[in-house]
Amino acid sequence: MPSPTLTHSLSESLLAHYQQRRNEPNDTYDDLVNAAGKVRSRWQPLIEEFNELGLDGFQQMALEAQNLLYENGVTFNAYEDDVRKMRSWQLDPIPYVITPQSWDILEAGLQQRARLLERLVADLYGERRVIRDGILPAELVFSHPGWLFAAADNSSDADRPQVLFQGMDVMRDHHGQWRVLGDWTQASSGVGYALENRVVLARALSRLYRDAPLHRLAGFLQNFHRCLAELARPNRDAPNIVLLTPGPGSPGYFEHAWLANYMNFSLVEGSDLVVRDGRVAMRTLGGLKTVDVIVRQITDPWCDPLELRGDSLLGVPGLMQAARRGEVAIANGLGVGVLEHPALAAFLPALCRHLLGEPLKLAGRPLLWCGLPQARDAVLGDLTPWRIRDVRDAERVIQPEHMDDAELEQLRQTMTDAPHFFVAEQPLISATSPSYDQQNNSILPKPVCLRFFALADPGDDANSTQRHRIMPGGLAWVAEPGTAPMDSQTVKDIWVLSPVVQPHVSLLQRAQSSLLVTRDGSDLPSRVAENLFWIGRYGERLDNRSRLVRESMVCLVEQGQWQLNDTLLPDLFTALKLPLPSDVNPYQEPETEDPAGAIRQFSALRSALLDVARTEGDIPWLFHSLLHNGRAVRDHLGDDAWRTLNTLRQRVHTLPTLQGASAAQHSLEEIITLVAAVFGLCNETMPHHFGWRFMDIGRITERCIASVELLKLSMIHAQNPGPELWERVLSATDNLTVYRRRYRSQLYPTAILDLLLFDETNPRSIGYMLGRLQRQIEQLPHPENTPFRPREIRLIIQANSHLHLVDLDSLSDLEQSADARQALETLLNDVVAPLYALTEAISNSYFSHAEQPKQLVTVQGNG
Amino acid sequence: MKYQLRHTTRYRYSSAVTLSQNEARLLPRNLDWQRCTQTRLTITPAPQRQHERRDFFGNRVAYFAIQDIHDTLEVTAHSLVTTEARPVPEGDACTTRWEAAVEQLTPQSQVSESNDADSQEARLFTLDSPFVHHSLELKQFALESFTAQRPLLEAILDFNQRIFTDFQYDPGFSTLATPVAEVLQQKKGVCQDFAHLAIGALRSIGLPARYVSGYLETLPPPGQQKLVGADASHAWLSVFMPGWGWLDIDPTNGSLPDERYLTLGWGRDYGDVTPLKGVMNGGGAHELQVEVDVTAVT
Repeated sequence: MPSPTLTHSLSESLLAHYQQRRNEPNDTYDDLVNAAGKVRSRWQPLIEEFNELGLDGFQQMALEAQNLLYENGVTFNAYEDDVRKMRSWQLDPIPYVITPQSWDILEAGLQQRARLLERLVADLYGERRVIRDGILPAELVFSHPGWLFAAADNSSDADRPQVLFQGMDVMRDHHGQWRVLGDWTQASSGVGYALENRVVLARALSRLYRDAPLHRLAGFLQNFHRCLAELARPNRDAPNIVLLTPGPGSPGYFEHAWLANYMNFSLVEGSDLVVRDGRVAMRTLGGLKTVDVIVRQITDPWCDPLELRGDSLLGVPGLMQAARRGEVAIANGLGVGVLEHPALAAFLPALCRHLLGEPLKLAGRPLLWCGLPQARDAVLGDLTPWRIRDVRDAERVIQPEHMDDAELEQLRQTMTDAPHFFVAEQPLISATSPSYDQQNNSILPKPVCLRFFALADPGDDANSTQRHRIMPGGLAWVAEPGTAPMDSQTVKDIWVLSPVVQPHVSLLQRAQSSLLVTRDGSDLPSRVAENLFWIGRYGERLDNRSRLVRESMVCLVEQGQWQLNDTLLPDLFTALKLPLPSDVNPYQEPETEDPAGAIRQFSALRSALLDVARTEGDIPWLFHSLLHNGRAVRDHLGDDAWRTLNTLRQRVHTLPTLQGASAAQHSLEEIITLVAAVFGLCNETMPHHFGWRFMDIGRITERCIASVELLKLSMIHAQNPGPELWERVLSATDNLTVYRRRYRSQLYPTAILDLLLFDETNPRSIGYMLGRLQRQIEQLPHPENTPFRPREIRLIIQANSHLHLVDLDSLSDLEQSADARQALETLLNDVVAPLYALTEAISNSYFSHAEQPKQLVTVQGNG
Repeated sequence: MKYQLRHTTRYRYSSAVTLSQNEARLLPRNLDWQRCTQTRLTITPAPQRQHERRDFFGNRVAYFAIQDIHDTLEVTAHSLVTTEARPVPEGDACTTRWEAAVEQLTPQSQVSESNDADSQEARLFTLDSPFVHHSLELKQFALESFTAQRPLLEAILDFNQRIFTDFQYDPGFSTLATPVAEVLQQKKGVCQDFAHLAIGALRSIGLPARYVSGYLETLPPPGQQKLVGADASHAWLSVFMPGWGWLDIDPTNGSLPDERYLTLGWGRDYGDVTPLKGVMNGGGAHELQVEVDVTAVT
């Protein structure tokens, strides 16, 4: 029992608003306080802590949690390329708390449900007794998009689709009763978020978290990993497990990468896999590598263009056949999507009695399936009290109460035509639970949706009813029942209290099974190598451009003192491949003569440099190309590198809004530092194996080309050549300090050339970079048994020898001698030409550009 | 009757195929009135993998994968098929009013003893399928034969005959993508179109109907030799009569399939029984050549 004084002090401070909201007339079940307005005992330990924190403490904690989530890049948004649409959740510092008694009921109910669905799907893809016996209508099953005729194979030895892992959406209704709202069997998301929330909250609420008697989550994922490994029949000791994702464009991609990383799977897309010799293999640098288990996150109809949707570009042709023959294990099996049918809820009580011989423990959602004539008539009689779902687009809720007459008539017509596609649900009223509202800085009663996760663990005793493990925790989000998590603003951790204090275990605790030591090597997927290469190229191009824009900003500040044509800006614009804005006048008088004109000139030039939409080649475009490639190999980049990328995104986003030249200069310098930090972190944390080499090759190739082009411009083609431009070039390539140390302030072209071209001890010189490229390329895996050097090696040798064999005397006296400039231009062209060809050579040798498989169906027979 | 059946499909690709995976539904199934022996599938180039299975509908499916680089693919199915007379519908199922048959197939909220397992499964074939969608026009088209209180069999036979007489067989008209609505409007097409049209119309009034692919022995004009490879695949449909079973009808010829009809397989529509389909890497454009022989063996 709560002590009266405590309750009193709470209601006065923290819970003032809460009680007020509660006092509005309703008899809705509330998690925190009972009908008498007393705090429920399960909140006791938390409330004490909260009381100590106070609302200000909450605010701080919420902000901290927010930052942690943001830094970790936790987002449920597919379209985060568009910075304005980007958002991540707020993490409620107040967890959703479940007592041991409640959990016992809930856990047993969820276990039963998982068991029931397992039996159901086995029957549906096997004997179909439930249809023959009239328990489940044929129309309901066969019209669902998740039903796969191809999975209902008539052969007796075929592998039936199975559910290994699933999500279950649960709510507590206003009477306090648990209800299951739906099941996620195909690509159930949320488990990664649930763990991420737990990690973040454990940091923000560390003391409480450590002491609280709550169930820990790490063991569940360990069991998940073990169960997956056990699916691999021929290669159980060291199975190759991959996570098949639709790619970075899909809403769940963050979590796919997170899971792959946490569970040590290769993250693959459909095009990374191929069925050969009946088995599924992954395309890697070292050739094809057999895949034993696929954790698939692609929905059923898209998994195999041979047997399922022929227009799928996400799937793997022949996958179903490989699964059918048991050559690869897929979790969850193809075809289990039919269990997500929203109308199943209406039949589960009967199915439970029929298949398990026991009553269904957890209620579902009260609903009617319109395929039954009586139900259809009842619903069509008065549509307004119902929420309608079309099973073909089940996530969309149709609300007749908000429709006008014409829309209602249209809906009625559609439902009459094909009633079996429609489900009518009664709106549910959710219980309320305390939630910290950041905007109002108060604790308020809010509806909460919960997602739990079940794992089918074959374990030691296959007949045990405990076969299904339910993760003691999950993802909660503040929203009305039936809202998708991504449509919510706030997520919560779920704390399942344990009767005894649980020892704190690290999420990365010692694994129980033995582990085969592996090293990244030639089994790197070719696509990953390609993404890493482009991360290098785009990252370096971003760096180079930021430097040039920064140099331009320096000149921009000074431009008012001279005519534009006398400044370095025209040359710098050429280097940036930007035209001078049409409204600037190269002969604009200095500001002493025409201050207003100078200001106009300034802002036109500033806009051209900074206020850029995402056009190809500009800073935001380069950043997003970098990010796009980065996201595709999220599991190869360290957390710190990723966090830095997130910070970089903010800087790039704000750049166009900066008005002053010095603020922009400062921001560009930050971008330069952050890009360097990303690569620095990659260098420090990525194993120096093939993946890292590709990234380095991409970077150095880009840098080499940029340096050559800059030299060509400044030494040969510049409008205003001379020491000032050379100084900008030295600064843009970060060589100014080195130069000054060697040569003081005098700028000699010959000295600059030596530093930037030939000095192999200078990491910014072309000579050094070519040497590094050659070393890296030589270390890539090359086909054996061939007497010829691969093209990429020949190209780099070619570039190197041009540099080494040049007659240095021919380059002296650049300022006076046209011949010397001609000789330099020839040299630079000879050096850069093989570099331009290098990308294509590497791409042909290493990156899989297998033509996209296409479907061949031709009409035959016209009798 | 006894027939030697040969069905050859030949693809020529404009550029090399490096990997192709295929499904062939070219092996005729055994039925109470049809026995298939000496069935063999010859594939050139030889596939690295080949497996046979039964699909959901019980059809024989051969999966094969070719991993050698190739620019032609030839698949030939040979079978010796013996056919017998088919059962003729009889009893209450024929005389029952067609509305009563439809009523019997409507989903019930309670488990109903009168609904046998076959009827429960047959209801799958009242649903829309990728190539066939029900519509008001199709329903009205069917209702011209399915007049009020008409006995089921009588209505089916009339419907079959009506398509035969009212529609023109026109091999130039149809493509795989010809929508059923267009066939109904233009009143012409080929066997697939008439089968799809009839299936759509029957489903629109609530009767289960399925697509049957197979062959029909054709006879040369009197006094002429039969040409090799001149036969073609044929398609018709089957309609479910509750209490009796599936009755094949052939609206292209206005007849009920008999011993001269060889059944390959069935499904919801053409998409379920495509003779040969595949996914390949490479290939470019392709040319297709099909030859079918249905030769009576004495």
